[in-house]
Amino acid sequence: MNISLRLFLAVSALIVLYFVVRKIKKSRFEAADALFWLFFIFALVVLALFPQISYGLSGVLGFESPSNFVFLCVIGILIMRVFSLTAKTSLMRMKLDSLIQEIALLRAQAKDENDQG
Amino acid sequence: MKLLVIIPAYNEEESIVQTVNELRAVAPQYDYVVVNDGSKDATRDICIENGFNLIDLPVNIGLTGGFQTGMKYALRNGYDAAVQFDADGQHMPSCLEPMLHAMEDTGADIVIGSRFVTEKKSASMRMIGSRLISAMIKLTTGCSIKDPTSGLRMYNRAMIECFSAKSDFGPEPDSIAYLIRKGAKVAEVQASMRERQAGESYLTFTRSIEYMMRTCISILFVQWFRG
Repeated sequence: MNISLRLFLAVSALIVLYFVVRKIKKSRFEAADALFWLFFIFALVVLALFPQISYGLSGVLGFESPSNFVFLCVIGILIMRVFSLTAKTSLMRMKLDSLIQEIALLRAQAKDENDQG
Repeated sequence: MKLLVIIPAYNEEESIVQTVNELRAVAPQYDYVVVNDGSKDATRDICIENGFNLIDLPVNIGLTGGFQTGMKYALRNGYDAAVQFDADGQHMPSCLEPMLHAMEDTGADIVIGSRFVTEKKSASMRMIGSRLISAMIKLTTGCSIKDPTSGLRMYNRAMIECFSAKSDFGPEPDSIAYLIRKGAKVAEVQASMRERQAGESYLTFTRSIEYMMRTCISILFVQWFRG
């Protein structure tokens, strides 16, 4: 964990923060999404400020270098994100499908009633 | 029993008129509904022009959602049974009456119009796939289904309710396996089928492999954990 990796993490955190704030301003983000990204920024900052955490956990878990531990953390967080996004798209698809079906069924029903009346 | 014939149609402008007209000529005692699944061709216009009973999905949502729309229609309009009927002319309307009789006589929840009750399976690639799915259904449910991939399936009221309520529940072999495990009774009736009348088969080589993988995973893994 040399100083340049720590600086890189801190700068990355700032850049992510900038984009999050921009999205919130344009109201393109839900509060739940913002929460995740703020947590992500927080994790980067903590790892940059306290390299002892990476050193300690690398030692316990048997990583060759603390920077590898940092990469693993980021990959882990991203995999969790992809998982929850997959679940979310499935749910969205179900809702969308049933809305589309409802439109079609209501139209067919309205046509039937027109034909009869 | 009041039967609804559900005809899911996606880009079937070449065959839909012939299919519906034949159905109305051979089996006029049954109601039918065409579910146009957001076709890009003239399927919708042709159905309206001919005055067919039509449910028109505004965008394409796939066979699972399209067929489910038909099941919801059957549920809301008080049908006792519903049958999936291909728009491409592969299925014969003359099979419907024996299937409905079989449902009434045996009390089965699902009646499959099967190509292999009295006939033997050939040894083509497609039939190897069919055998594999049969074997997996036998393994997981103990029930022998001779033609699990037949698209001609009739469902009773309880099954209509089930298909209407569940999402991601397509008219496919994995759903049949799930329903058998939940206690549904299946009967098979011999039904001959034609080659498709027009258009290209949906199942290309890659799609066949994908279909087999998805069906296998679904029967062997996913269906055990469904609510």
